[in-house]
Amino acid sequence: MADNFQNNKTMAPVMMDYDFKIKTQNERSKVEDLFDFEGCKVGRGTYGHVYKARRKDGSDTKDYALKQIEGTGLSMSACREIALLRELKHSNVINLIRVFLSHTDRKVWLLFDYAEHDLWHIIKFHRAAKANKKSVMVPKGMVKSLLYQILDGIHYLHSNWVLHRDLKPANILVMGEGPERGRVKIADMGFARLFNAPLKPLADLDPVVVTFWYRAPELLLGARHYTKAIDIWAIGCIFAELLTSEPIFHCRQEDIKTSNPYHHDQLDRIFNVMGFPQEKDWEDIRKMPEHATLVKDFKRSNYQNCSLSKYMDRHKIKPDSKAFSLLQRLLLMDPNRRITSEQAMQDPYFTEDPLPTQDVFAGCPIPYPKREFLTDDDQEDKSESKARQNQQQQQNPNTQQNQVQANSHDHGANNAKRMRMPGPNQGQSNQGNGQQEFHQQQQMMFGAQQQGANSQQQANFQQRF
Amino acid sequence: MAGNFWQSSHHQQWILDKQDLVRDRQHDLNILTEEEYQKIFNFFASIIQVLGEQLKLRQQVIATATVYFKRFYARNSLKCIDPLLLSPTCVFLASKVEEFGVISNSRLITTCQTVIKNKFSYAYGQQEFPYRTNHILECEFYLLENLDCCLIVYQPYRPLLLFVQDIGPDEQLLTYAWRIVNDSLRTDVSLLFPPYQIAIGAMHIACVMLGKENLKPWLAELNVDMDKIQEIVRSIINLYEMWKSYDEKKEIQGLLGKMPKPKPAPQR
Repeated sequence: MADNFQNNKTMAPVMMDYDFKIKTQNERSKVEDLFDFEGCKVGRGTYGHVYKARRKDGSDTKDYALKQIEGTGLSMSACREIALLRELKHSNVINLIRVFLSHTDRKVWLLFDYAEHDLWHIIKFHRAAKANKKSVMVPKGMVKSLLYQILDGIHYLHSNWVLHRDLKPANILVMGEGPERGRVKIADMGFARLFNAPLKPLADLDPVVVTFWYRAPELLLGARHYTKAIDIWAIGCIFAELLTSEPIFHCRQEDIKTSNPYHHDQLDRIFNVMGFPQEKDWEDIRKMPEHATLVKDFKRSNYQNCSLSKYMDRHKIKPDSKAFSLLQRLLLMDPNRRITSEQAMQDPYFTEDPLPTQDVFAGCPIPYPKREFLTDDDQEDKSESKARQNQQQQQNPNTQQNQVQANSHDHGANNAKRMRMPGPNQGQSNQGNGQQEFHQQQQMMFGAQQQGANSQQQANFQQRF
Repeated sequence: MAGNFWQSSHHQQWILDKQDLVRDRQHDLNILTEEEYQKIFNFFASIIQVLGEQLKLRQQVIATATVYFKRFYARNSLKCIDPLLLSPTCVFLASKVEEFGVISNSRLITTCQTVIKNKFSYAYGQQEFPYRTNHILECEFYLLENLDCCLIVYQPYRPLLLFVQDIGPDEQLLTYAWRIVNDSLRTDVSLLFPPYQIAIGAMHIACVMLGKENLKPWLAELNVDMDKIQEIVRSIINLYEMWKSYDEKKEIQGLLGKMPKPKPAPQR
């Protein structure tokens, strides 16, 4: 009998060397030893919790975002998120600085640069202003800069064959004051959220976080795979929302607790804006899994007078404007005809004045409020606000740095308990602990992706094949 | 992710220097000869391969798991973590990263038990697979730390497909070269060379085996470092030479006995 594996068969094996264990333990830094973040929660969702953090040793006074991943251990989505973010490097994609593994409670923490704003809050601000008849739309130049940087980031992701799969305003972050002022950062890629094989059935998720407003028509008709074109549709939706401050395909979401991708009301809303697709505009629509249901449920004649140009015209975007013409190319019903991010970036819209700027605020003062800290009270509100969700016009943000949906509601009493965040520290210093961190924070120029002549050359070599 | 290899953590952090590798292994090489060391890795690569096949994983996932395993021990002694525990842990982590889907804990453990009992009894005798889910989960954190969170591994399979296409489709050449790439996982080449070079090395060997006219004109056009290709070819040929005179079934128990092992916490 072989017993060289261990001397005594009944004895538990020694899986790990004691000295190795102690040595790694001593070398491992704990997130709570390096960062102050107690009471600084700024976001909560199915993904976990996000805190605004500062280094304890004062080696820099920057703000960081610390995301504690929901649950314990390494779920597939956590693995995918770490694996891909570890490789991705682009000025318009959120930068993963470091991962902390807490062995005692098996929690996983991700450290990111802190982004003060996001499009959900920015659009909400403009909606509120509009309702009060005070202010106007999102500035035209800012819309263009935002869209350009979103496209730039998505182009980078797409050229690396990473699909976002969950683009919506809440996932488009914008940097506040600091060296990267006004820079778009795409966040919260749906790393493992395959629509047809979701980790958790959609029905198990908090219904408010599954929004259909940015979902491409082919997905609603049962398309089985995510594609680049699906991300492009979502960008089109975001573009329209920036231009008008209204979610273009806004739809009541009460019966969303279904794992069936087919969603009648959402399709109805899309047709009400876009018109019913002509056969010639989308030949493959007949091949969609839910085509039969579509034919059964919808009558073309109900949408005779609907078109994107009429819809946008009602919102004061002229059909002969360059913005409209680009929007139309992003929001083509047929996914095969929808333009790519690369084509979109070449659109004349971006060469017409005002030109897009690296700082989407173009040096102007930032009118948007800073993120507020969440208290535990907000958590208790959740069930109440959930019940009211259908009356709310706002979607719920579900992003690494967003506030809970409760924030979009008028709370009164609870608002009083919320603290205002301290002012930003403008004097940003160097990054400490650089060696332990994956890559230095990016200070790249707008659009600069290549790292130098050398890597460019090597890249070309690879492309030959 | 099919990103750019040249900007990847694989290229920037995990193409190791031969001298560094030898130095980092010194502790183990004081106890084992280089050949014994290689035979032990050959054995655990087999365990990973069989586990992966039983779990119906794609070869890409199996290859990634094997590279995780090699990377861990490139920086650590065999005694740090029992390789019998690290092998399934690598498979578990790789399957999540490659979006194969999460293998359920119980299925992983059951598969380990069956595989060790049915396929590797020549090494472990009646010894059962001694670990449980909690061991694998604890080990996984150590693995991720030691990999420095570099989880995307580029493999030679994709460049191999492209190269063979470039030469002109040749099923036989592809099949041979593909198997040679699989075999290369039992050498150090995945730690020392970029995957496209390994693919070329494997093609080179396959051509020689098949008696096909050599690749020289095509290679000349590619402008690759032929010294590197030769080193890769040598490593793989050495492996084949070793296999000729090696009976794992007879030797592995002795080797596992000799292998440095984890030491428990000191008794009070």
